[in-house]
Amino acid sequence: MIGYVEGTSPLHRAHPYTTLAAAAALLMGAFAMTRPLEVWLLVAAALGYAAVGGVLRASARTAVLLSLPIWVVLFVLHGLLGAEPRVLAGPVALSAPGLARALVLGGRVTAIVVGFLTALAATSPHRLVEAMTADGAPFGRAFLLASTLTVLPRMRERAAQILEAQQCRGLRLGGSPFARLRALAPLALPLVLGALAEVDEQVLALDARGAASGARRTALDPPDDSAAQRVLRWTLLALVLAAYGWKFWRMRG
Amino acid sequence: MTAPLITLAGASFSYPGAARPALTDVSLDVAPGDVLAVTGPAGAGTSTLLLVATGFAPRVVGGTLTGGRDIAARRCGVVFARPWTQLTGLCSTVRDEVAFGPASLGLPRAAVFAAAARALDQLRIAHLADRDPAQLSGGELQRVVVAAALALGPDVLALDDPAAELDPEAADALYDALPGLGAAGTAVLLATPDLQRAARVATRAVAMAEGRIAAQGRPADVLDGTDVALLARAAGCPPPYPVDITALLRRIAPQSSRGGRGTSDAPPAGSGPDTGVTAP
Repeated sequence: MIGYVEGTSPLHRAHPYTTLAAAAALLMGAFAMTRPLEVWLLVAAALGYAAVGGVLRASARTAVLLSLPIWVVLFVLHGLLGAEPRVLAGPVALSAPGLARALVLGGRVTAIVVGFLTALAATSPHRLVEAMTADGAPFGRAFLLASTLTVLPRMRERAAQILEAQQCRGLRLGGSPFARLRALAPLALPLVLGALAEVDEQVLALDARGAASGARRTALDPPDDSAAQRVLRWTLLALVLAAYGWKFWRMRG
Repeated sequence: MTAPLITLAGASFSYPGAARPALTDVSLDVAPGDVLAVTGPAGAGTSTLLLVATGFAPRVVGGTLTGGRDIAARRCGVVFARPWTQLTGLCSTVRDEVAFGPASLGLPRAAVFAAAARALDQLRIAHLADRDPAQLSGGELQRVVVAAALALGPDVLALDDPAAELDPEAADALYDALPGLGAAGTAVLLATPDLQRAARVATRAVAMAEGRIAAQGRPADVLDGTDVALLARAAGCPPPYPVDITALLRRIAPQSSRGGRGTSDAPPAGSGPDTGVTAP
């Protein structure tokens, strides 16, 4: 699951700035946490965020798939090859500080990925553009941000179509890693060239529809932004600042 | 005579980095109400002519334009062959998609939705207003894209092979809407390889070859490669050949054409396609 998922969860109904602010707080918070317990509490918070968005299972599964290779690399790099002292885990002697480091880094990656996937799933690009339009943001900026949210699902859909077409024309997947690598070329080239051709047409179409008119765009259906949500966003900012304050205070001590 | 909306006088255009010009020495007038069919083989420059005539080339696509071009049209709309590349990707309903253009101009909300409703009615797709554009068929989507272009109230609407991705029924529905646009005063530039349908709706035609205008004038003079024209020629009809079935019926049996499809779909007298054929 990568991309917006229709839903009626509190995160879906919230103002898009609130949904994105929570994801940004997870991202910033991840770098403020320096101990394994703190980081994994943040992972729990990220999973809570996904649960509120109604996408806990899908987010967690995709996050594990995306983070797993990183966990393995971190375990080898820090756990096996890390500094003394070592602890025995069965027949293997693992680096104690290395393991702690791997847990911190792995936890950060996991929290960020869960937060990012949940924000993608719960933020409607249409509502985000409407919110930014209502705030007077230039259309180009709103479109850029919304396009970023939709680019992954669009590319994945297109890649699946190209893959099917190439398989119909005899492309064989599987085999050795070298053969798999070689099979990437007939997928990547049409993917990139097709995307570029589409961008050309879309630029023309948007221009023809007044996107570059320079006028202040009319918001057609701006999402509600309650005082409670504004307070929540400020609170999240305060929490992030407090976490950094705590981090630097501890480092100085 | 009505002042032209677009005038090209000896215009030539080259894309950035191209060795050869895509258009050479093109002269053309487009007046309000014209439904101008632009035909030619692949690479003849039909799409480029539309982009140059409507001002998108070189302003948006880059390149070099020489010769004279005067665009008196207040606003030009453009529609391409693939409808899904022309969606904003940001709208969850057809109504919002069509309203995107007027909203971009900063019109008040009521005026935005009124313009969208008008355009949806014009294309007879008001029943799709609450649907998600991503869930529509290609034919429905293409009509949504045309409605989105019309919602801006363009003086000139350029359609580049608009039925390329459509089934015959959807293509007919789209082409059948064009004479109505012309009758309402919108000039329609239609680049298409579909001579049969173009002959049915065009009031004028341009044939292009290798970036130059090879012929322009009445559809009867320019679109003489339609199946009907070839049939009439083979049957020994004297030129100008009837280019669509309505004109052929009129030629061979004036009474029988009155109940036919072409007659029932034809625009009001005086605004319809000039097939160059008169009943005996």
